[in-house]
This record gives sequence, structure tokens and C-alpha cells, in this order.
Amino acid sequence: MKLDIERVRADFPILLRQIHDKPLIFLDSAASSQKPLPVLQAMEAAYRQCYANVHRGVYTLSEEATCSYEAARDKVASFINARAREEVIFTRNTTEAINLVAYTWGRANIGPGDRILLTEMEHHSNIVPWQVLAQERGAELVYLPVTDDGRLQMDRLDDLLDERVKLVAVTMMSNVLGTITPVREIVRRAHAIGAVVLVDGAQGVPHLPVDVQDIGCDFLAFSGHKMCGPSGIGVLYGREALLEGMPPFLGGGDMIRRVELHRSTWNDLPWKFEAGTPAIVEGIGLGAAVDYLEGLGMEAVAAHERETVAYALERLAALPGMRILGPPAEARGGVVAFTFRDIHPHDLAHLLDLEGIAVRAGHHCAQPLHKRLGLVATTRASFYLYNTPQEADRLAEALEKAARILGKAG
Amino acid sequence: MDDLYREHILDHYAHPRNRGRLEAPDIIADADDPSCGDQVHIEIALDPEGRIAQVAFEGEGCIVSMASASIFTEHIKGKSLEELASLTEEEVLAMLDAPVGSNRRRCALTPLTALRAGLRTYPKNPSSDG
Ligand SMILES: Cc1ncc(COP(=O)(O)O)c(C=O)c1O
Repeated sequence: MKLDIERVRADFPILLRQIHDKPLIFLDSAASSQKPLPVLQAMEAAYRQCYANVHRGVYTLSEEATCSYEAARDKVASFINARAREEVIFTRNTTEAINLVAYTWGRANIGPGDRILLTEMEHHSNIVPWQVLAQERGAELVYLPVTDDGRLQMDRLDDLLDERVKLVAVTMMSNVLGTITPVREIVRRAHAIGAVVLVDGAQGVPHLPVDVQDIGCDFLAFSGHKMCGPSGIGVLYGREALLEGMPPFLGGGDMIRRVELHRSTWNDLPWKFEAGTPAIVEGIGLGAAVDYLEGLGMEAVAAHERETVAYALERLAALPGMRILGPPAEARGGVVAFTFRDIHPHDLAHLLDLEGIAVRAGHHCAQPLHKRLGLVATTRASFYLYNTPQEADRLAEALEKAARILGKAG
Repeated sequence: MDDLYREHILDHYAHPRNRGRLEAPDIIADADDPSCGDQVHIEIALDPEGRIAQVAFEGEGCIVSMASASIFTEHIKGKSLEELASLTEEEVLAMLDAPVGSNRRRCALTPLTALRAGLRTYPKNPSSDG
């Protein structure tokens, strides 16, 4: 089934905005996506009609709020094909989900001399929690290198996967290169040596069909706000047996079964890892986002993005002075980072904004990757289900215009 | 069009004034912003009265930060250390003579950030911490 792009666009009210008197072209969904009406409506209805704290009250409103919030968990579980709803833990975002694993599973399972295998294309949020853990536990970080065209050097994987490696943490899709990584293969090889695998799905889950049982990963982290849902809600999927064995993360209300003055016992999964009042309405909003994406079909979403990005790559590559990072269209998702004629990304992003085009300039929270590629900063255009090939045309034209304006600078 | 990228800004970027290094600088001032790679290195030599006799800069970065550094070096010549130490952000933005929105303030203020760091470590005048 093909996306009906005009209908999809009509679902996103923000796309009607004008920026500097030009129609908004939003090309920063890799940072955070826009929200469709069903999500906005579900959240408003939750506040207007059935808002109360969850898991506590016996009164009708609390029961309704609890039902909607917990229904979102079921939707997420089915969206990623988890075996059970207990395997879906709500967090604030990807970053918190990864930290949860580092602070609980990590502290209990990583010791001196152990290794954690990452890749050179990780986002800071899949690097820094492991640095903190490694420093605390006397463990070591090792990195699977990337090739010059931005793929993982898979031929190096088996060398790096020795018995010291206890954890492999890898992104499903690079937020700079757009590269879609062979996570299934990585999981298979890591499991063969007994390592646990965490997949950073912050970019993968919003853009690709994801089946955790097929991938076989032990943990999967992702954020609601990059997949048409609200900010403030994210997900940690974990295999039930692992989650059962992990100590809790934050202590407080909701995560306990019984509290005495000097000790407590923990609640069942998933609530053991959800201390305090959760992001109730955000959870409900994420449920609506999942419904929305499933309604369109993730295959259709991915196909639309592939087509749009393939066109954008072709269009941009034709501009003199354009250097596009990352692999060819068939190996990547909706992200296109580039440098253009020595123009600093800040200047470029500024001039594109004047044309109504929102792109990101900087290191995109991937400084080690930029260093590996010999760059400090890049400009990134990221495409999602509501972007069109015409917008890629407008981007190319705006880049040419920027080059003309700054051409005066020699 | 937004005219941040006015002709004189582009001109300072393309033809930076006071670019280079000094033989015997009294003050060395650096700023670098790892988030965008902007880097400015300013060297200042004082005359016997403690006024700026010579100034030079090197750097790398966006048009706004580089043009600002060039313009900045022109403006501070002849000023006393006290005048330098009391320079405000608004004064530096005014030197640019172009509209700097909140999204580019940090770029435009890079030379001031460098200067303040340099004055903090300037040994002969520890009280001039701006
Ligand atoms: C690959 C990747 N991992 C992790 C994150 C962090 O996501 P969040 O800021 O929602 O925690 C991002 C988003 O910026 C990302 O692109």
C-alpha cells in the first residue's frame, strides 16, 4: 500500500505554517517529528475527559486514565512484536531507557576487565552512559569502526567480539549517516559469544518496521517524540527474563509492592521500573501515534521515505561542491547529512530558514563520528512520512541560492 | 531577506582584518565551541600605557563568528584594559551593525567570549576579570 501523501500532510496541522512568508518545509524529524491530529486529539481528550492519576484511584476517572495509559503499553508491545506487555517499560526517552539499562543491568553485570562494544556511529546517548558505567566498574569500551562511506565494518566484528565482551550496544539507524545497520546479524554473532545486545531504536523504530523477536535483541530503546508522539515519553523494551533479574532503577511510588521502614519489595514488571507518577497523557499520546503509524503501515512509511530520500540524494548530489555523508540510498533511511562548498553549517541552516526550510546544523550529538569523518559539523536534512520530493527540490534550490548570496564572500 | 549577511559582514569574512599572529603578545585569548567548531584565537599587545597597541586573530567558523572577530579587532585597538574588561555583549553586537537574532548571538559573541577568557588569565591584571 502506498502512502496517500496529501492525506498524510493534511493530518499535520503545523505543515500549514509559513516561516518568513514561505511554506514550512520541515526537514528535522530526526531530531523530533511533528504530530498528527489523532495524537493531538487523543491528548486533549485525555485531559478534558478522563484525566486522573493512574494505578491508584478506585473512582471512574482514575480507572479510565489507567485503562488508556495501559492500553498504550499494549499498542507499543504489539507495534514492536514484544512477547508480552511486561516487556515494555515507559521511560522519558531513549536516553533514559539506555541509562536505565546501564544503571541496573550494567552495575549488576559489568565488572573489571569486561568490555562493552559500541560502534563509531553511536549517538552520545548510546556512548556516555557506557562511559560512566565503564569508569565506575573498571570496564573498557571498544568500538566497531565505520567505513569511509558510513557503514559498519562488519568484517571487524568477530575480531572484536571476544569473551570479554558482555554487552553490545548499537544503533539501528545512524542519525547522521542514515545508515541502516545489520542489527539482526550483530545480535546473532554477539549472542554466539554470550553477550547481551541493546539496540538504540531512536531512529529505527519511527522509520522501519521493527520486530524485536525477529531481531532477537535483549533491549530496545526508543523515543515517542521522534515517531509522531509527544515528548516526555519513551520506551525500553527488555526480554522478560533479563528485566526480572535486574534491580530497580529509581525508587519511589508505583515501583514497590510493600514498603517498610528499612526495606521494600518491588512491584511486578513493568511497573518495577516506573517510579512515581508517569507521563500519563504522553503515554496515551504515544499509543495514538502507534495507532496512526500502524494505520498507514510501517512498510508504506519506509517505502515512502526510501523513495523521497533517493530522489533527494540524486538532486543534492548534482550540486557542485556537495559532499553527502553515508551510504547510497538503498542502505539508508531518511537522514541526509552533508557539507556544501565550505559554507559553515550554521550559515547554511540560517539561510535555509529564511526560505522556510528547517534543517539541523552541528554535530548532531555524534562528535566521535564527525571526528572519524574528519569533520566538526554538518548540515542535516531528515525526511519523514510527510515530506515530498518537491520539498527536496526546494531544498536544492535554496542551497543554490545560499551559495549565490555567500558567493560574494569569495 | 534577513540582512544579517550584509555586504560588510561578507566582506569582513572574505577579507578578515588583523588576521595572523603577533611577535610578542601580552594577552592570548581563545574560545572554541565544540558544538559547531567555531574557534577564535586573539592575540593582543599593549603599549606602555596599557592600551591595545596591536591585535591579531586567527580562527575558523561560521561567517558570523569570523566577521565578528574581524570587526572586533578593529574596534578594540587603542582601548585600555579597563575599557576592554567592561565591554558588554550589546556593545559587541552593536559593532557588527547587522541584525543578530537569538539563534546567532553565540556565534557573534565568540570574540568576546575569547577576550573574557584571555583577560581572566592575564597575570598582570587579575582584577580585570570581565
Ligand atoms: C540514534 C539516536 N539515539 C538516541 C537519541 C536520543 O534520543 P532522546 O533525546 O529522545 O533521548 C537520538 C536522538 O536525538 C538518536 O538519533
